Amino acid sequence: MKILVCVKRVVDYNVKARPKADGSGVETANVKMSMNPFDEIAVEESVRLKEAGTADEIVAVSMGVAQCQETLRTALAMGVDRGILIETDAELQPLAVAKLIKAVIEKEKPQLVLLGKQAIDDDANQTGQMFAAFLGWSQGTFASKLTVAGESVEVAREVDAGTEILSLQLPAVITTDLRLNEPRYVKLPNIMKAKKKPLDKLTPEELGVDVSPRLTVLKVTEPAQREAGIKVANAAELVGKLKNEAQVI
Amino acid sequence: MSALVVAEHLDNKLNPATLAAITAAQALGTGVDVLVAGLDCGAVAEAVAVVDGVNKVLRAESEAYAHPLAEDIAPLIVQLAPSYSHVLAPATTTGKNIMPRVAALLDVAQISDIIGVESPDTFLRPIYAGNVIATVRSSDPIKVITVRGTAFAAASSHGGSADVETVDTTESTGLSSFVRADFTASDRPELTSAEIVVSGGRGMGNTDNFKLLEEIADKLGAAIGASRAAVDAGFVPNDYQVGQTGKVVAPKLYIAVGISGAIQHLAGMKDSQIIVAINKDEEAPIFQVADYGIVGDLFEVLPQLSAELDKLKS
Amino acid sequence: MTTYIAPTLEMRFVLNELAGLDTVNTLPGYEEATPDLVDAVLEEAARLASEVLAPLNKTGDAEGSKLIDSKVVAPEGFADAYREFVEGGWAGLSMNPEFDGQGLPGLVSTAVDEMWNAANLSFSLCPLLTTGAVEALATHADDDLKQTYLAKMVTGEWTGTMNLTESQAGSDLAAVRTKAVPDGDHYRITGQKIFITWGDHELTENIVHLVLARLPDAPAGVKGISLFLVPKYLVNEDGSLGEHNDVHAVSLEHKLGVHASPTCVMSFGDRGGAVGYLIGEPNKGLACMFTMMNHARLGVGMQGVAIAERSLQAAVAYARDRVQGSVPGKQGRVTIIHHPDVRRMLMLMRAQTEAMRAVAYLTAAALDHSHHAPDADERAGFLTRVDLLTPVVKAWSTEVAQEVTTLGVQVHGGMGYVEETGCAQYFRDGRIITIYEGTTGIQANDLVGRKIIRDGGQGMRGLLADIEAFESQLDAAGEVCVAIKAALIEGRVALARGSDWLLQTYANDMYAPGAVAVNLLMLMGTVVGGWQMGRAALVAHDKLQRNEGDATFYQSKLTTARFYAEHVMPRAAAYLAAVLAGSESIMALDDEYF
Ligand SMILES: Cc1cc2nc3c(=O)[nH]c(=O)nc-3n(C[C@H](O)[C@H](O)[C@H](O)COP(=O)(O)OP(=O)(O)OC[C@H]3O[C@@H](n4cnc5c(N)ncnc54)[C@H](O)[C@@H]3O)c2cc1C
Repeated sequence: MKILVCVKRVVDYNVKARPKADGSGVETANVKMSMNPFDEIAVEESVRLKEAGTADEIVAVSMGVAQCQETLRTALAMGVDRGILIETDAELQPLAVAKLIKAVIEKEKPQLVLLGKQAIDDDANQTGQMFAAFLGWSQGTFASKLTVAGESVEVAREVDAGTEILSLQLPAVITTDLRLNEPRYVKLPNIMKAKKKPLDKLTPEELGVDVSPRLTVLKVTEPAQREAGIKVANAAELVGKLKNEAQVI
Repeated sequence: MSALVVAEHLDNKLNPATLAAITAAQALGTGVDVLVAGLDCGAVAEAVAVVDGVNKVLRAESEAYAHPLAEDIAPLIVQLAPSYSHVLAPATTTGKNIMPRVAALLDVAQISDIIGVESPDTFLRPIYAGNVIATVRSSDPIKVITVRGTAFAAASSHGGSADVETVDTTESTGLSSFVRADFTASDRPELTSAEIVVSGGRGMGNTDNFKLLEEIADKLGAAIGASRAAVDAGFVPNDYQVGQTGKVVAPKLYIAVGISGAIQHLAGMKDSQIIVAINKDEEAPIFQVADYGIVGDLFEVLPQLSAELDKLKS
Repeated sequence: MTTYIAPTLEMRFVLNELAGLDTVNTLPGYEEATPDLVDAVLEEAARLASEVLAPLNKTGDAEGSKLIDSKVVAPEGFADAYREFVEGGWAGLSMNPEFDGQGLPGLVSTAVDEMWNAANLSFSLCPLLTTGAVEALATHADDDLKQTYLAKMVTGEWTGTMNLTESQAGSDLAAVRTKAVPDGDHYRITGQKIFITWGDHELTENIVHLVLARLPDAPAGVKGISLFLVPKYLVNEDGSLGEHNDVHAVSLEHKLGVHASPTCVMSFGDRGGAVGYLIGEPNKGLACMFTMMNHARLGVGMQGVAIAERSLQAAVAYARDRVQGSVPGKQGRVTIIHHPDVRRMLMLMRAQTEAMRAVAYLTAAALDHSHHAPDADERAGFLTRVDLLTPVVKAWSTEVAQEVTTLGVQVHGGMGYVEETGCAQYFRDGRIITIYEGTTGIQANDLVGRKIIRDGGQGMRGLLADIEAFESQLDAAGEVCVAIKAALIEGRVALARGSDWLLQTYANDMYAPGAVAVNLLMLMGTVVGGWQMGRAALVAHDKLQRNEGDATFYQSKLTTARFYAEHVMPRAAAYLAAVLAGSESIMALDDEYF
């Protein structure tokens, strides 16, 4: 079967995000960018499905500025077969991204779409569910395990109460959680091969999708900082403080 | 126009995060209706009817809603949504699963995990693992929102007297089906709503050592949590995880044992009222957010703490 | 302890703006090395370096390699890390695609090697030596040997070693005594080698030792040394492994640093003679070694850059954190990064690390041109430059690395002297690099003898002319660059004077070359470093003018270049003064009075 995997370029996991001085947004100039870690898990899973013979082609799609190509190249180096960049300088919110992905899915006709459960920048956790809705497809969010069997896929979902297992009719959308797998290190020969893999470019206009934002970010600020408290010598002193000073026990 | 809150429930019990969502809905200054969808969910509907400030309970009974499958619940909400200015759900794994689907079907944005209401169209929400707070305004006719439970006080679970109205149900889409659940059975309070949480990290060493925490938790009536490191190491199941990608908690008292305090963990607990840290590494970042810290070996400190709690009782 | 973060922004700057990746990737065979590909390579290597290799640096130091039941056991985690390294295809990065290498320029591998070395010097020695062995084999071995051994070594499935040193033969390899006796289609090797890095281990199935030894009828001295290939396990016709050859690690050294890297005493022929195969012609062993020398020496020079960078990162992190004392104009106690003297140390570390990196990458690029330029004259021109700069990259970078790692300790105060922060390890580990692969003294002799005196200073004059031609470009580039220019001119003139003095004096004073060699080498390193810092400043100035890229990065480049001009270049005058003083007071004291 054919898998589509969606990858987002985000501020690297190790960079501490800071609001811009004027509060208009988050400082992203000259900050290290990487593939969203949850999307990396999605790419890894798709490659494992191909290695297992379940999938025969993997297409990766990314949306945004021209540099998203680098993110796609990483996906290609991990084992994805070809990439599609939907290039735009416009701000993209989840609803618009979901519409773009829907348009790509209609062209590519994959049976399974994998993507991260959320992006570590906007922490929205919406995109997969949204295009699943547009297409009338089933969805398995927070996936920690997936098994494809015939016309359906069984997913284990990491939900608040524990693990829930659902059976989804294909085609389906799966959003990945942390424990689904541990992404591989990219091999050098594959980085070189990735350069020669096809990467197509499209624009939102070509796909006929209106990407105008529905939410306006009025300002961003740093959250209130907690002050460090005091060190106590032992358990007796701690219990005393909790009872008499903080009055929480 | 009023707001519709989607209630979350399991085994005939209302998830307390719903009460926080009701509070958030009240902050919008409109009336609040609550949707209870499920199978044999009469008891939950009754419980919601007496929640303070609820105008009306919409009860939707169907085999299709026996498990909250997004594919089947979303159409129901979409069918009700046009009568509302806002549709809210708790930002739980269930709410996060369903609400974007609802928003897409309504062709509106979804606003995730709000922690504050500035006005009926303007909300605060954390981004970048809580390192940044964004104030966002929606221009959509219907606002579809998930609410971070720890950011709003729970609405009082009595004092109200709403009518329960049965609403038309939607057909099952048959797109997905429930196979089974491996839910952690526990007599302890639920992690996200517990007043006291005792959490262990990689420093606990193994599954067995979590018994030391259980002993403390039992004495305090606390829930047990864990850092990602402890979950990844297999000490405890994933539903114990507190943090950016696990649960967000804000109890009265949070006791972090053997947890270094990686930013991703702090994102899930830093709004707790009082934080206690027990760690042998004096430099551990957890101490920077702790109100009370003990630098020491947890295998010495925990038995002492247990003994002190006994003394307190007697 | 801080973890290592590869300075990819800085590396890209040096690759693209100073070392000329854009001309290297026009060379036949290197067309694939476009900047975006190189970026992707750097990013992935950086990940492996900081996530896989760096975490083993400290544990490897504490645990060390051990000899257990006649087998060398590397510290925990090394075997897995090595497997990850090999499976990732990193071992063959710049090697010949014909043998499954990736065929990227040496320039790119220089940057990547910096990361491996900075993350874990002990670990990186293993691939470093394998690369050297591959090069010697690729150039000199016959096809049979290449077919049997090369591909496995290129991929890193087998590692290589260099067995040169014996107890009586260190700097002076003419004294090698290990014997090789013909025995059918091969030779039997007997003798003992010492200080053999990664001479034995269980990371791979087989190890390929390159061994210097003497044939029975060999002339005395350097002209009687031959090079042999001695596998740890013999290789059968079908490529499978046969019996254990008669070569064993018999003990490990206890040493100041690089504890994880086993330094072995290797015994050959305890049971009748290890099977060995001649590489190249009889008695031409040293010549074979020389072909890989530039590359190996550059590699060790890079270790200097790497360990300096690691030490710098640790020092900066500590200085940002440690609160001590107060400074004028600031309320309360401050983090020590606010103290002028701490900043002086950090700037010395930073400026010299950047200068060394630029010179090393530049030389690596010249080495690529010297192999791959289509035109023979061009190749020869680049080779002259490489020959001239190689001893400088090796010795100057490793010597300056001593200064940088010792400053790294100093910035930490007392915490620098205890092991916890890691910077004591960088200081200890880094101490070997001025010694192996030819000591600083030996490099300096090479510079003055073979690289300056032998061609009558022609190569040096070419270099000086290039520096001079560059100087005028600084005129139009603002105040800072003009100040840099003044310092550069002084340094260049000092280097010219030192070199001229040598050429005029060596014939009359036989001790002069040896006496002034290291000072002249350090003078040259300082000036060539200043030249590269000037070039960096010029690029930064232009970028800032054009509002291109990261303004803070370019601004700090300018500042760092200015610091180098003001605080490091003055050393050129001191080195020159010592050169001009000649050999007299050095040689005057009678041996007995020491
Ligand atoms: C950790 C470690 C790893 C090593 N790995 C290897 C390896 O893998 N393979 C290998 O073959 N060897 C290896 N060596 C050996 C290393 O290359 C030699 O130690 C080095 O070449 C110096 O030789 P030596 O120790 O005999 O010192 P010596 O040659 O005795 O030198 C002592 C001092 O005299 C000076 N000196 C000597 N001769 C001259 C001269 N002609 N002019 C001016 N000064 C001179 C030197 O500069 C030095 O300061 C390793 C050594 C160590 C410590």
